[in-house]
Amino acid sequence: MIRITHQREKCIGCNYCVELAYERWRMSKKDGKVTLIEGKNKKGFYTALAGDDEYESNINAAKACPVKIIRVEQVK
Amino acid sequence: MIMNKKSVEIMAPAGSFESLTAAIQGGADSVYFGIEQLNMRARAANNFVFDDLEKIAELGEKHNVRTYLTLNTIIYDHDLSLMKRIVDKAKNTGITAIIASDQAVINYANSIGLEVHISTQTNVTNLETIKFFSHFADVMVLARELSLKQVKDITDGIKKDDVRGPSGELIEIEIFAHGALCMAVSGKCYLSLHTNNSSANRGACVQNCRRTYEVKDEDGNELLIDNEYIMSPKDLCTIGFIDDIIKSGVKVLKIEGRGRAPEYVKTVTQCYREAADAYLEGTYTKEKIAEWDKKLASVYNRGFWDGYYLGQEMGEWSDVHGSKATTRKKYLGKGVHYYPKAGIAEFKLETHSLKVGDKILVTGPTTGVVESEIKELMVDEVMYTEIKKGVTFTTPLNTIIRNSDKLYVVEEVDGPTQ
Repeated sequence: MIRITHQREKCIGCNYCVELAYERWRMSKKDGKVTLIEGKNKKGFYTALAGDDEYESNINAAKACPVKIIRVEQVK
Repeated sequence: MIMNKKSVEIMAPAGSFESLTAAIQGGADSVYFGIEQLNMRARAANNFVFDDLEKIAELGEKHNVRTYLTLNTIIYDHDLSLMKRIVDKAKNTGITAIIASDQAVINYANSIGLEVHISTQTNVTNLETIKFFSHFADVMVLARELSLKQVKDITDGIKKDDVRGPSGELIEIEIFAHGALCMAVSGKCYLSLHTNNSSANRGACVQNCRRTYEVKDEDGNELLIDNEYIMSPKDLCTIGFIDDIIKSGVKVLKIEGRGRAPEYVKTVTQCYREAADAYLEGTYTKEKIAEWDKKLASVYNRGFWDGYYLGQEMGEWSDVHGSKATTRKKYLGKGVHYYPKAGIAEFKLETHSLKVGDKILVTGPTTGVVESEIKELMVDEVMYTEIKKGVTFTTPLNTIIRNSDKLYVVEEVDGPTQ
């Protein structure tokens, strides 16, 4: 299991995460920022749990994020 | 030739309400600012947000200052809805114009009757391009890499060929007069994108050009270079030849620096306002230029040069990481109260100490920038010559300050500041 965290407010809408992990990220046409699918909001930090199979693609998304607002951790 | 005073517009940057007020205090005719992420300072922490537009438009109207909203990043499909929402709101709230580079923005703003200015991101360098954009825009900024001769050829061409914008007026030409320069042609730089995935053209430049570099050939031999800041241009300063700039037919002088502090905005705006007015009134002298140069050097700068306007063949490169400013501000505390009848300001000194004779700076969203010198310090109705942190004190000040305004002491420095 992995936990993905997203500080949505700081997103600049570059679209890298969507390209690298499209199953987890969707660009919002409302405000041009990305939305973490199934993310739960807690004070601006969106968190979602996902299977290990999504680890690699989301680590790549986190590395590519220009504003470094995506965090991916492995959880038990 | 003496021109009408209004024939030169000083356009100042506003990255916050503090800077916006500072620009107005400095005598700006117009201010430019960004909201949300579709502007060239998307990475900055202090961007305005959507709901600030009303207040910005209101302030502009109150002080007779034109307000320009920068919406000049490259635009993707997923940005279109936000872009249109921003442009609509700008029009409805009474923002004067949109500064744009992407055709989607230019076309949309024009289609709803909102004035369009062409951004530096389009690199306008010739008359035919001006004619092309004249179908959409009334004001265009020229690329920073043109010489004044090239600038004049363009402004002459506009008059000769009678190139008019949607308003029916002749196209107005704007140039960058002061502030940071890019090592790339105007804004078009891809270094940050290639090294950090962080596109400068989406407002997320990481400023690779401001660092030091070693230069090695393919065999690993290091080349000896005089200055390791091989890509960091000095800052542009045109105050010493503002007469030539105005003579070249330029109507708008733009000051770069939406990321700069309010006192920077106030000082630079004031200097250029005075210089433009001095030229127009026939009182532009060497002595005044020396005075302005000194003032401009006191705030953030990487050393100055003339840019490309005077036809320099090679760029001039900075030799510092941060600023060469001759002064530095140090945070002391916050404003508590102002007693208007007595002309007394009350502050809480949260850190360091303060003594009579110190130069202070107070900044705030409504206050803007207030500079003064401490003449008296009073704590519980007892006079002091010096006070330490933790006390609440009063001091005479002839300008109103507000609760929670920030108080700084201004110090002289010898070496570079960060």
